[in-house]
Amino acid sequence: MTADWVIATDSRRLPAMVHALRGLGGDGVRVLAVGSPALAEVAAGACADSVTWIATDATTPAEARTPDAVRAVLESEPRAVLAASTPAARVLLGAVATALGAPVVPGVLSVVPEADAVLVESSDLGGRRLRTLVAPVPFAGLFAGPDVVPPVGVRPATVERVAAGTPLDVRVEHSASAVGAGVELATAERIVAVGRGLKSKDDLALVRELAERLDAAIACSMPIADDFRWLPSERYVGRSGQQVAPRLYFAVGISGAPQHLDGVRDAKVVVAVNSDPDAPIFRRADYGVVGDLYEVLPALGAALAGGPSTATREEQADE
Amino acid sequence: MNVVVVYEWARDPADALVRADGSVDWRGAKFVPGEDDAAVLAVGRAIGAAGGRDVVGVTVGSGDATWALARGVERAFSVPELPETADDALTAAILAAVVRHVGDVDVVLVGDAVAYPAVAPTLAGALGWPAVLGVADAGVVSDRLTVTRRVDDREEVLSVATPVVLGVSAASAEKQPPGMKEILAARRRPVVELALSDLDVTPIDRLPERSARPPVSSAARLFTGTPESCAAQLIAALRADGVL
Repeated sequence: MTADWVIATDSRRLPAMVHALRGLGGDGVRVLAVGSPALAEVAAGACADSVTWIATDATTPAEARTPDAVRAVLESEPRAVLAASTPAARVLLGAVATALGAPVVPGVLSVVPEADAVLVESSDLGGRRLRTLVAPVPFAGLFAGPDVVPPVGVRPATVERVAAGTPLDVRVEHSASAVGAGVELATAERIVAVGRGLKSKDDLALVRELAERLDAAIACSMPIADDFRWLPSERYVGRSGQQVAPRLYFAVGISGAPQHLDGVRDAKVVVAVNSDPDAPIFRRADYGVVGDLYEVLPALGAALAGGPSTATREEQADE
Repeated sequence: MNVVVVYEWARDPADALVRADGSVDWRGAKFVPGEDDAAVLAVGRAIGAAGGRDVVGVTVGSGDATWALARGVERAFSVPELPETADDALTAAILAAVVRHVGDVDVVLVGDAVAYPAVAPTLAGALGWPAVLGVADAGVVSDRLTVTRRVDDREEVLSVATPVVLGVSAASAEKQPPGMKEILAARRRPVVELALSDLDVTPIDRLPERSARPPVSSAARLFTGTPESCAAQLIAALRADGVL
């Protein structure tokens, strides 16, 4: 019996990957959950047909269970294997893909069957183009589509726990919060982040004022924390910094380097203020203002304060 | 033993021009150091010094092979003829073949690149080695590696046996780029060029591209006018979206 597989080491995009593989119309979609009992429970509610669970513990990371993961997936005849682009999930996917002799597609958005192949739509060049690739069977992919919420009342899938074999010699020696007290970017609903468009540390006052009006946390791009040290490193958003998922992300004077954008991929609404109209941040942003942040931020403050803005006065004059 | 640092193994996606029909013009762009390459090299030098390993550079494609040689690497291998492919596994298979060619390697360091996220893990798969990605730093403790990485809002320290592939994510930019003296000295150091036939690799692109297009809406909704007008329009839009 063939099956299509989702490899999960956390809950991110899990229902969306199951949903994407449904598009192949195969015999079933299975989730390989490598992690805690809570992950197995989430996987059971992700609308898959079954869940295979490999347990980890505080000292045994998912990567140590790579041989178990490969064995579990290869017991079926998978046509497609998807994983989210998190470090541990990628390690497992890389090993499974190699064992299957499968090509690996990054940035997968959707899959459609076609004869003996699969048409894979994927994001390329940082989202600047969408390409349709003809993938052989089996193929492996890193999923980059938006998450979906499973329907309410879905019947949980059966969870089968796999007896773990000898782990690889990779163990967690120490794990601690990397976030200082009072810095809760990971759970912030609104964030104002600042980049190299800011000319001096003193000008952070402008950013703080906007953040206060928005009831937002303050964050920054890597150079502000690493090169200039104007803000502590725990406020740096990016692939090697904080991964954030606010409802509103205000990027002020941030150009939008790939490593920064990787940290805001789960933000709902992104606003960019930048003087360079060609800045990559505008390709990720939902809204943008091309302008001098030293003029735009005070204007935003005034607009948020509810004072009569120029635009309002102009509209009133027109009437 | 040797520690391999992989560098300059891809183009910068920002160098590509995407035409209206979705086709790509690289405008002659060559492979360049990735945003993680300086961090890869720093970790490689630290492991090499602490563990008595030689640090060997490996690069593929059209990049300047002397980049690592100007930064303390004594010798490098280059595979200039990297095929164009969407398949990260093919790139990884070629890199794995070079690592085997170098021989006596127990640590491979490669940038955990955002644009090519499957290369590092598939390289580990091709070698049959464990892998740890998102690595910020690594050092040697007796015959093992101690690896620090960030996982969401936590910092983990792992103890890892070799052989292993580490995907390194830079937490800072390069602090001390080499001067002219180091760059000139690098040009006298050996770079061994390898053909794919030397590596017994047959590059088959298993992911042909059927079509491509720009995204339907790839740009932000931009507000124009005076700063005050833009601000008012933006706040109104955010309120309409329910995020304010």
